[in-house]
Formats: sequence, structure tokens, C-alpha cells
Amino acid sequence: MRNEESRNIWRRIHLDLPLLSGLLALMLLGLIVIYSAGGQDIALIYRQVTRLGIGLVVMLFVAQIPPAFYQRWAVPLFLVGCGMLIAVLLYGHVGKGAQRWLDLGVTKFQPSEIMKLAVPIMIAWFISRKPIPATLTDTFIGLALVMIPTLLIAKQPDLGTSLLIAASGLFVLFLAGLSWRLIFAFILSMSAFMPVMWFFIMHNYQKQRVLTFLDPETDPLGTGYHIIQSQIAIGSGGKTGKGWLEGTQSQLEFLPERHTDFIFAVFSEEFGLFGILVLLAIYLYIVGRGMTIAIRAQDSFTKLLAGSITLTFFVYVFVNIGMVSGLLPVVGVPLPLVSYGGTSMVTLMAAFGVLMAISTHRRFLQQ
Amino acid sequence: MKKRTGKPKQQQVGRWRFYVVFATVALVFFALISRAAYIQVIQPDMLRKQGDARTHRYLADNVHRGMIKDRNGLELAISAPVNTVWADPVTINRYHGLTLEREWRALADVLNDPVDRLLDKVNVAIEKEKRFIYLGRQITPALAEYIDQLDIPGVYLRPESKRYYPYGEVSAHLVGLTNIDDDGIEGIESLYNDELTGEAGKRHVLKDARGQVIKVLNVDEAHPAQDIYLSIDQGIQALAYQELKSAVQYHDADSGSVVMVDVNTGEILALVNSPSYNPNNRNTYSARNARNRAVTDAFEPGSSIKPLVVLSALEFGSVSPGDLIDTSPGWMQIGGRRVRDGRNNGKMDLISILQKSSNVGVTKLALSMPVEHFLDAYYNAGFGTDSGSSILGESSGVFYDRRRWSDFELATLSFGYGLSVTPIQLARFYATIAAGGIQRPLSIIKRDTAPEGDRVFAASSSRQVLRMLERVTEEGGTGTRAAVEGYRIAGKTGTSRKAVAGGYGHDYYSTFVGIAPASKPRIALVVVVNNPKGDEYGGGDVAAPVFSKIAQGALRILNESPDQEGSVTLANRQGGKPSA
Repeated sequence: MRNEESRNIWRRIHLDLPLLSGLLALMLLGLIVIYSAGGQDIALIYRQVTRLGIGLVVMLFVAQIPPAFYQRWAVPLFLVGCGMLIAVLLYGHVGKGAQRWLDLGVTKFQPSEIMKLAVPIMIAWFISRKPIPATLTDTFIGLALVMIPTLLIAKQPDLGTSLLIAASGLFVLFLAGLSWRLIFAFILSMSAFMPVMWFFIMHNYQKQRVLTFLDPETDPLGTGYHIIQSQIAIGSGGKTGKGWLEGTQSQLEFLPERHTDFIFAVFSEEFGLFGILVLLAIYLYIVGRGMTIAIRAQDSFTKLLAGSITLTFFVYVFVNIGMVSGLLPVVGVPLPLVSYGGTSMVTLMAAFGVLMAISTHRRFLQQ
Repeated sequence: MKKRTGKPKQQQVGRWRFYVVFATVALVFFALISRAAYIQVIQPDMLRKQGDARTHRYLADNVHRGMIKDRNGLELAISAPVNTVWADPVTINRYHGLTLEREWRALADVLNDPVDRLLDKVNVAIEKEKRFIYLGRQITPALAEYIDQLDIPGVYLRPESKRYYPYGEVSAHLVGLTNIDDDGIEGIESLYNDELTGEAGKRHVLKDARGQVIKVLNVDEAHPAQDIYLSIDQGIQALAYQELKSAVQYHDADSGSVVMVDVNTGEILALVNSPSYNPNNRNTYSARNARNRAVTDAFEPGSSIKPLVVLSALEFGSVSPGDLIDTSPGWMQIGGRRVRDGRNNGKMDLISILQKSSNVGVTKLALSMPVEHFLDAYYNAGFGTDSGSSILGESSGVFYDRRRWSDFELATLSFGYGLSVTPIQLARFYATIAAGGIQRPLSIIKRDTAPEGDRVFAASSSRQVLRMLERVTEEGGTGTRAAVEGYRIAGKTGTSRKAVAGGYGHDYYSTFVGIAPASKPRIALVVVVNNPKGDEYGGGDVAAPVFSKIAQGALRILNESPDQEGSVTLANRQGGKPSA
């Protein structure tokens, strides 16, 4: 009876307790590692805590909005997002050699962040309008819809985000029952497209990253430096790690971007394989919970949206850890909820807000 | 695996896709963990080493070379601060340092180097993009200060030390030398280089990517440079050198050596050679001058070995102190060869044999005992083995280990031919007699406690020989000029011909070996003068006076009380027997 009551409370504030606890565990772990990686700078922790707080508030806020709302506003949201991407290309603020920021006067922000949510919502809305699985025509229209923001973002250039956004859209299509024949054809065309990308689309620094990924030792002091240093950091952690605040590679600043994109290396050095197991278990738990929400979701729109959000989150994790441990080329993707970072985390929390909305509003509708 | 869930009307997304996707996700996580496990568990040694290679460094502290001191703490070798002037040609070039013509002229002036040559050297180095060249070394602090004020970009000073030897040539052979990099290359400087250098304190540190030291992991204080205390007494050493040098000059000799040993401890109190060189001035250095002859040069000891024959005969019992031995007619025939004395001495007791240094007498003694016993005495006396001082370049002399010895060969051994010994070995043998038959390894390093030593001769026979040797310096002996007023001196002269190709020539080793004071022995002293070319060449005439002067000074320095009275008493008592 008591249990039922407490559940009701969570439902009333539209929070999914299992998901929330997973997220909080990650945040806590993140703070611990950031303290170590950031040279024990307590100010860094305050800023991250503030950011996490904002993220949680955003999540709480988003969770209150019933999924039907997004369904209604999918198209305007998508269009506004695309408009802003075009605006960025035209008037955007240049930072670190890429045009990603839009100055709104009050604050600067990356419109690509909006697209992280706008694209899956749009595609989910588009596909779920009609019976599932989608027709071939609709699938291609969906693909085209995915490609528009993807290419706009890739042009900034921000390869990492564009790939993530493409993935979020493709996941919707896939979960909607994309035929395997099409998937196979897609993979084929992608591999055919690869050389074209290499020679005509990719920037030199991007090509360099791929080359370095294939053999980091060719340029140990230049582009291979990140990879080599981070692998050394991970490797020197061993089974149980060197202990908190004891990682030499990270503490001694051999590891670049150690409290942002490469925080996994710091974590691995200090907590070892054992720590990695714990961390990945939490991630897997969150993904599992997301999938459960998706499966339990009432209609196709929420199902597809929840699935896409969850899988995109997983891709974040995979790309980051893959990159840091040398399985994937270096792409600027933070380790979700653990890395020190701004906009992308707030977006992520908003996405989790959507997940929670899907989870809790579903119950409400059932009753 | 194509599957379209249900009918088109059914507006539901198939669950199975979610399951497949979740399975894939789990698989990918497994792949990530495998990757991490591979890096951390299978590959980690390499990576860990790489990590350490980036962060661990060893830093050495600078240490000054230790001093070499005599037994009383007098400094024989000290390090003075000097500076090395070096240049980084690349930096010079970057800041156009060569345009400072006035400064370079001044620098060349201070370095005692033509300015053109100096600039050429720098220019060549600039072209080769070198980062380090020496401009000058061992620059005194005052000049270094001046160079510092010139402030030429790319020209730097580095503190170093220069070895200085306050006593110069007196102890040069013993103390040795260092090279320009402060490493010992001769003598004690070389032998005790590790101790003098010390092991630079090493710090094992963590460095960050910018090269800053973050943490000191481990400090090897290891070994600071030690001072080496030699056993020698610089006062005696200086006296010995002065006397030896003037004797070598006076007699126009090739060279000379003096070794003084403390009878009670085996410590070497003085060890000098002439000619010597000034270690502060490398120009005086030559192979001839730098030879530490007292330990490296073996010579045939001649008569100075005779006490050993008497000693071994007494030990064996083939003769007793009062026995008379007939040496007439002043020569004897052995296996077709002849052993001769200077004149016919008739019947002699052991004292006279030593006092007059009779070859026939010791030959008879030598042949009076078994060969093995006779030869053992030589081995026991320490001939053929080194003295234990471990001074560099020490020779063990030559003592043939033959199967068969002819009588004549034994005879020559008995008067000091057919074997060669170093002055230091001779000193050790006499120190053994003086110590009552106890042999101690010699030491050039100051000893805290005397080593127990080995008994190689009986105390009684050693004492008897010691007393006999006193007579050598008394009226009628060959070594009267070795006497020291107020002290009883035991000793033996030696005058040995130098072997030349095909026999013996007319060059001599003039030797005197003695023990003082004979009543209560404190020092054993060897004086060897090689090839004196004047009218005098005998040990009693050339070496004995040197012995006398050195012993006199040494006994005073060592604060040994005179024993005039005792001397008289003993002389009277032993004087009962007439000495030829």
C-alpha cells in the first residue's frame, strides 16, 4: 500500500525512478572523476554541479509535457531547427575552427543540439502517421528528412554530431521495421559512398584523424598523441586501477582533454578494469531501462521515439569509449553524464525527460 | 531475417526489434569491456612502462669530490670551485650574439684564446646547429664573474671543481691525479675514486607533461662523497721527500724511494719517490716522473735480505746465537762458482756476519738447513706476494718457484740475488721482524685498530735478529752512518749490482733498511737509491745517511722517547762478544 503510494508520487511528478537512479549514479561517478581529472579544482565541480542541476530541472520540466505535445509540434520544431542550422552557416560564431554557435545576444548555443531531439521526433511522427511498417516511399522520405540536418551539421563541420543525429533518425526507421533488404542495400551504398566522402566531403583534419586511428604511432606527438596517451592511461590502470587521484597520465597532464572527451581514460587509469565494469553496467542498465520504456510505450510514436533516444544515448557511450580505447577514430563526443560539459548534457537530460514523459504519461493514459 | 510485424493495419512496432537491438547493445558493451580488458590486463605491461617512461625521471644532485687527507687531517687533495664556460651556438645565433664584437674580444682575452679562433669555433658550431660547445674550462671564480657580466646571449657558466694538491710533488705518487672531468686516474684518486666521488644523491621523481617535478618518489641519498684519510703523516712524508730528493741529486742517482711503515699497525707512514712531478702542473708529468717506484719497481735486494737467512737458520735450529762460523779464506767454491767476501773475516758469530755482511757466512747458514725450510722463509717474509696495501700498480716482485735449486742458486738467494723485491715488500719484512715475527698487511689508509696479523716467525728468533741488527749501526758495522743520536737503530745495508744483459754491470742499488727505535720498535724504514753515480755507491754511504735523517725526524714527529741508556746497557751486555 505504501509502495503503491510512493509510486503514485513519482508518477504524479512524472519521473521514472529506475531511470533517475541510474542517471544520478552516473552523475556522481562523473563528479568524482572530474575532480581528479580537473586537477582537484573545486570550482570545476561547482560548475558541473550547477550544470547537472540545470539538466535535472530541464528533465523534470520536459517530463511534465505529454508526448502528444511533441507529436503535434514535430514539424514546426524540425523546421525551426533546420532554419537555425542554416542561420549558423550564414552568421554563426566560429569557435575552434568550426561554425557551430549561434549568438542569440543573451547566450550562445548550438542549434545542432535541438536537432538531436527534433530529428527523432520528426521521423517518429512521420513514420507513425501511417501504418507500420512504413512503405518504401515513406522510408526514403524519412531518409531524406534525416539527411537534411545531417548534411547541414556536417558542413559546419561537426562530423560527430552529424553522425549522431543521422543515427537517431536511422534508429527510428530501423525500429519502425525497416526491411533488412533495405538495410543491406544501405550498407552497400554507404561503403560505396565512403571513397566519395573521403575525397570530396571530408576535411583534411578529419582524414588525418582516420589515418591516425589506423596507426597512431605514425604521429605520436601530433594527431596520434591523444590515442597513444589515452591508451597508456587506460592500460596503466590494470585490473584495479591506481586509485582515485593517483593516475599519473591524467594528473600530470599528459592526457589532453582529460576532464571532457577523454575522461574515460582517467577513470580507467584510476579505477581499472573493475571500475570499467561498474561504469558500463550502469550504462547498460540505463539503456535497458530505456528499452523497457520503449517496449511498454503505448503507441508507435512514443515507442519509436523512446527507442531512438535510448539508442542514441548508447551510441554516445559507444563512440566515446570506442574512441578513447582506440577502437574508433577520434570524434569529439563526450562520455554522456560523466564528461565535464555544457550544452550537450542539457540536451541529453531533456531527452531523458522525454523518456520519462513517455514512461509516466503512458500509465496515466492507461488508467 | 526479414519480418514485417503483423498486418499493415496493426499500428504497432514489433517488440522483437527492441530485443534484437538490446542484445546488440549488450554485445557492443561486451566488446568495449573486452577492449578495455585487453588494454589493461593483456597489454598493460608495455603501456604501464610507457606511462612510467613519460613520468618517471632520475635527477642527480651535484656533489663535490671528497678530500684526501693525511692521518692528522692535513689536506693533500682538495677541490676548488671553478667554472666551465660553454656556449649554445643556436641561441647565440638566434640573438645575434656574435654582433657583440667588444664582448667577444673581452671573452677571448679572459680565456687566453685568440679572438679569431674563438669566433671561428663558434661559427662552425652555429653552422652545424650544435647546442653545446666548450669555450673554456677551469676558469677561476674571478674571471667567471667577469664573463658573467659580459652577458653574451648563449654563453653560459657551469660550476665545476678543480683538484688542487697543496703539497705538490711530495705526495704526488701516492695521492695521484684526476682528469679534467674530475675522475681519478692515478694513485689514491683513482683507487678510491668511487668513495671520493660519492654516489650522487639520486631523486626518483614524477614529472608532468611540461617537465615540472610533481612528486619525489624516492631519494637515494646513497653515498655523499667521502674524505679519504691516508695512513701517511705528511710531516714525515715531506721530510722523507726532501732528504731523498737531495740525496738523489747529490749522488746523481737515477731515482730513489723511501717507505716507512708503522710496525705496530702496518700503516704506511711515508712513501715517497724521486723524481716526482707537480700534480698542479700537468707539464711536469711524464711517465718517468709519475712512476710510484716504491711499489712498482722491483730490484734485487742484495745484503738487506741477509737477516732473513739468519732468522730462518735460528728458527730451524741449525745455528744458535753464540755459534761461530768459519768464513775463511774469505771465499768458497760451490759447484764451480765462487762466493766471496770483501776480505777474509775468519771465524764469525751471527752478529758479525750481519755487521760485516759476510756472503760466505750467510751461504753457509743457507746450506745448513733443508731447502724447503729456507725457501719457506722467503715466502713467509712476503716476497713474491703483494704487501696488501692495494696501491695501484703494485708489483709482487719476482721469486722463482723452481723445482730444483742448485746450491749456488741458494747461496745467491741468501745474499739477495736471484729474486727481486719492491721497497714496500722490504719494508714489510723488516716491520715483521720489528713486530716480533708478526706480519700485518700494510695499509695506505688510516687504521682505527691494528690488525692482529699472522705470526710468521718465532718471537724469540725475531728478537734475536733485531738485536743483532743493532750492531750494524754501531762502531764497526756497515751502517754506522744510519745511526740516530739518542736512539738505538737496528738495520742492514744493501748494495746490489744491477743485472744487465748477460750478467751484472757496474750500476748499483744502494739500500738501507732499518728499524727504530730498536728497544721498542715503532717504525720500519726503507731507503733505496737507484744508481748513484758518485764516488760513493754503497748502501752504508748513500742510503744510510738518508735513513738517519729521516728516522731522526720521524721519531721526533712520532714523539718516541730517546733510549740512550737502554742502548748502552744492551750494547754492553752484547758487547761481551768481540765483534771482529
